[in-house]
Amino acid sequence: MKKIVAVTSCPTGIAHTYMASESLEEAAKKMDVQMKVETQGSVGVENELSEQDIKEADAVIIAADTNVSHERFGGKSIVEVAVADAIDDAESLINQALEKAEKGEKTEVNANLNSQVSDEKSKRKAKRSGPYKHLMTGVSFMLPFVVAGGLSIALSFVFGINAAEQEGSLAAALMQIGGDSAFALMVPILAGYIAFSIADRPGIAPGMIGGMLASSIGAGFLGGIIAGFLAGYVTQWLKENIKLPENLQGLMPVLVLPFLSSLIIGLLMIYLIGPPVEGIMNGLESWLQGMTDANAVLLGLILGAMMAFDMGGPVNKAAYTFSVGLLGSEIYGPMAAVMAAGMTPPLGLALATVLFKNRFTNQEIEAGKPAWFMGISFITEGAIPFAAADPIRVIPSIMTGSAITGALSMLFGVGLRAPHGGIFVLPIPNVVTNLGFYALAIIAGTIVTTFMLRILKPKLAE
Amino acid sequence: MEVNEFINQNLIKMNLVSEDKDSVIKEMIEIMAKNDIITDKEEVIKKAMEREEKGTTGVGKGVAIPHVKSDAVKRPAVAFGRSDAGIDYGSMDEKLSHLFFLITVPEESHDEHLKLLAQLSRNLVHDDFRDSLLEAKDEEEIMSILENI
Repeated sequence: MKKIVAVTSCPTGIAHTYMASESLEEAAKKMDVQMKVETQGSVGVENELSEQDIKEADAVIIAADTNVSHERFGGKSIVEVAVADAIDDAESLINQALEKAEKGEKTEVNANLNSQVSDEKSKRKAKRSGPYKHLMTGVSFMLPFVVAGGLSIALSFVFGINAAEQEGSLAAALMQIGGDSAFALMVPILAGYIAFSIADRPGIAPGMIGGMLASSIGAGFLGGIIAGFLAGYVTQWLKENIKLPENLQGLMPVLVLPFLSSLIIGLLMIYLIGPPVEGIMNGLESWLQGMTDANAVLLGLILGAMMAFDMGGPVNKAAYTFSVGLLGSEIYGPMAAVMAAGMTPPLGLALATVLFKNRFTNQEIEAGKPAWFMGISFITEGAIPFAAADPIRVIPSIMTGSAITGALSMLFGVGLRAPHGGIFVLPIPNVVTNLGFYALAIIAGTIVTTFMLRILKPKLAE
Repeated sequence: MEVNEFINQNLIKMNLVSEDKDSVIKEMIEIMAKNDIITDKEEVIKKAMEREEKGTTGVGKGVAIPHVKSDAVKRPAVAFGRSDAGIDYGSMDEKLSHLFFLITVPEESHDEHLKLLAQLSRNLVHDDFRDSLLEAKDEEEIMSILENI
């Protein structure tokens, strides 16, 4: 019996996805073809195709109006159509697919690393939900401010570390742009867009006001995150629960919501949340500033390992968000550790594919080349294709390398003022302190990663 | 989760008066508005039209399933309408549409709601299911068909 696997998906994922799936199953039953249909709808992925299913299948049908990834169907005969076509005439689709399989028309799937990585990134983005998604929305809106602020401050130091104190000087102007404006907006933007992600446009005002208060109270990015979530959920609740007569409803977005929500968030921040969070932030800041070498190494180890653990997933983002948030408190060490540790996984893998070719498939060796570039650009996700193929050996290897890089970076007291950019931000003066040692930390972690891979990964049979 | 939480006799219209695609979408959304299922009619109409632009929901075999996912929707619901004369809905198979299901869900919906809607959609593929809807005499009969999916 012939076997076909299919994927159905539509933009809203409510109706067509399932109608197409049913049509295909029905038609297959009639035609005596074995059929398994994966539905990618609003409930998420159901009836997921396993590797085994795909391997056994004679042909693949993709009936989708959304972007369905082809990666896993490499070397199969694929028929791709709009979702409606499967509802309309599933029988001829199945015939078409079987014909294609008969003729041996295989679709070459472009398995290059760049497309795999961007696929994986968008898949993860789509999968983000709830508070994690809201936090990441806030962080992504905040980042441009951190970049502009951090680099402007770094440039102002070109004129000397105290040059900005000279009123009217260019250094002072740069400091005004970076420190007083861009960095001052960081926490309000973070909070505002967390709230935006939760409550849509009405969330922005209370979120930003709450974030501004967190900033001025000294509750820093922790206070900002709390303010953002509070503002979002409170606004959402107000939106759903305040019932105005129909002719007054126009007042909701322009008067009632912004005023009430901002008032509630503002008062909560000032009287209830601000003070304890300020205490926590102060404690954190003074601990980080006065840290012993042993603690610094420990923090670097942990942050580093987190960066490599899921390569751009939630654990990685937690370490990253923590470090970016601290930039606002003028603490630059963790940022340096985190960026370095995020660079070594692809770098170490790339080096390993050059040195130990007999431990990697040809495809992986090819993927090693772009991995160099991803590494120096601080795109940790570049390691994902390798890790996906062999997680049990690859993940411990890259975690070890990243942890060591993070620890060394902290131990050497390296500071980094830019939240992203890999080696491309390093030539900008004063963005990184102790550039030589920073490079050393990154190289050391890369070598350790490679060495771990050499130990853990067995030789492939010829 | 039961079908009658989505749809009741008030959400069924046996004789749609519209004669073209735009007005039938509005006519169906009007049913939702009357039953207090949506908060912002214009927004829902806009969303429904946007969805049609991405690809017609006239899936052929005489069925159209316009649908909207929006914050302007209070709770998941289905409105059913029938046009014996048929309406040119720009369907895949270029035939007239007779059976209309307008599906509205809020942005954040429970999986079980969505699964039930999926189940309804699956049934629409079957000839005998559609035929029984076409032959039903009144709202009551439609309800009993839907309750048995």
